Amino acid sequence: MKPAPPVTKIRSAIERSLRTPPPGPTRPSFWRSPLRGPWLTSILGSALLPLILICALTGFLSQAAYNPGLGDNSLLPGGGLGIDIYFFHWPTSPSWIYAFTQGLHVVSGLAAMPILLAKLWSVMPKLFEWPPVRGAAHALERLSLALLVGGSVFVFGTGLLNIQVFYPWPFRFLTAHYYGAFVFLAAFGLHVFLKVPVALRTFRERGVLRPLRPGLADTVAEPYEEGHVAPLAPARPTISRRALLGTVGAASLGVAFMGFAQSVGGPIRELGLLTPRSTQLNDGPNGFQINKTAAAVGIGPQQTGAAWRLKVEGRAKRELSREQLLAMPQHSYDLPIACVEGWSTTQRWTGVRLLDLAEAAGVPGDAEVLVESLQKGGALRQVTLSSGQVAAENSLLALKVNGADLSLDHGFPARVIVPGAPGVHQTKWVATMKFTDA
Amino acid sequence: MARFRSLYGDSPLHLLAVLASFAIAGYGFLRIAETPTALGTLVWFAGAAIAHDLIAFPLYSALNLIAHRGVEGPADAWEERRRVPLINHVRIPAFLAALALLMFFPLILGLDSANYEKDTGLSGDVFLTRWLGLCAALFLGSALIYAVRLRRAGRGGEPADPPAPHPEGT
Repeated sequence: MKPAPPVTKIRSAIERSLRTPPPGPTRPSFWRSPLRGPWLTSILGSALLPLILICALTGFLSQAAYNPGLGDNSLLPGGGLGIDIYFFHWPTSPSWIYAFTQGLHVVSGLAAMPILLAKLWSVMPKLFEWPPVRGAAHALERLSLALLVGGSVFVFGTGLLNIQVFYPWPFRFLTAHYYGAFVFLAAFGLHVFLKVPVALRTFRERGVLRPLRPGLADTVAEPYEEGHVAPLAPARPTISRRALLGTVGAASLGVAFMGFAQSVGGPIRELGLLTPRSTQLNDGPNGFQINKTAAAVGIGPQQTGAAWRLKVEGRAKRELSREQLLAMPQHSYDLPIACVEGWSTTQRWTGVRLLDLAEAAGVPGDAEVLVESLQKGGALRQVTLSSGQVAAENSLLALKVNGADLSLDHGFPARVIVPGAPGVHQTKWVATMKFTDA
Repeated sequence: MARFRSLYGDSPLHLLAVLASFAIAGYGFLRIAETPTALGTLVWFAGAAIAHDLIAFPLYSALNLIAHRGVEGPADAWEERRRVPLINHVRIPAFLAALALLMFFPLILGLDSANYEKDTGLSGDVFLTRWLGLCAALFLGSALIYAVRLRRAGRGGEPADPPAPHPEGT
């Protein structure tokens, strides 16, 4: 008998090894947990789906809230393929709209994280499935899963560290979080499209909530099926499905509540425990949350003393001292500062209507305004407010808060308070306001 | 159609969905590629992809095994009498405490508390204390529930769950 040519030998060796996985996690018998299975994965996925949709929607709304089409408001590089352009101006009513949408963004993101971890645990055997690639469709799907896992950890992780003002990375948070979300959501959309039928079939077969009924003694593994996550050789269970999901659910509700507490604020703020804005500065009229202190952005009393003048420009040019501003008609409104980081605080602000300042600048009609701060650096030292924001009767250049003068950290001598706008558009230490026809 | 399926491995609709998904993901990558820190971003993205699967997962699985060995140990006479498995009363509060640490480690460990304090004007010291308090409350609560279950089992009430058997269980 002629010896087989070497190429044939190699091919048959490869075929053999593809049929038999090497010892370790690539063998189905490696995975023992009796709880892993299509039902567990489906129920975790069903919990994640609405949370991720809410988080994505409110995330894109946050971008819209910056009115990126105006002036230099867009913090993202470039105009892109046109899908970063928003076709509406952010509303000024209700005044808590951004507190609500952005609070929801951070709370839904926090709530999703424990469930995401459980979901990743539940599908671990798939990472090691054998053979690693079964064909073109399978290869593309696995590539997409790499984007899904990497994208989810990246987007959730950057958001989570950003709210803690912790930046261990070299890139700009906003750009990476925003465009990373495109990668994540693209992979997520495909995953939902491919897996919803699997989940529906599983729920039809096992029931949606029926597997929660058995206690530990009656917990049995889901039947093994090749290519799925139920174990081939399940160990005896040490926890019931309802205890596992109860723990994950408790974790999710717990962190969601922590986020909720710093978003709603008031008496429940301190119950936020671990969320970054769960403590109060002090009980004074200026004792509420500060996004960035005067010291952090290099503002000192020498710039904000008696020599400070507000430059108002339009068809007329005016320079107004704080006394002159205080002599104008004063109005008071309860309005929130709502930070992109998901915390909010509502205070009573007193000051001059932006509309009155537009009139002083000789642009009484439909005016936009470019507001510039004394702050030297940073993309947010300036903002362009829309004509709707200028026209709202409760849009103020605030001089006082809760009956007291603004503190330096809250923007003394004067700051913008616009209902419904993101906190970073409530420009502090205002130096100039340039009104133009919209 | 059958030929497409045998070549590609799935339906044309699958391929269309994959291509649509990759087009959007590609747009995201393209915009990241235009930034001056593109490489750093991609390295972090790749790191995120392996952070759970190849680092966190082996780590917490190992901890789970150790917890099983440590808590259950070899059955002895006392073990036999006990009839209430201890393992979940240890690993559930441990999981919740670890998750809180995983999510809020920069604040709890004060990794950049100088930046936090400069920005917010708040003290960064409170979070470690609060997290330790949370740990205490979780383990104490779990111990109390365990004590109640032990007492019930001792009275010969409802039979408790069987002892946790296999270390590789969950």
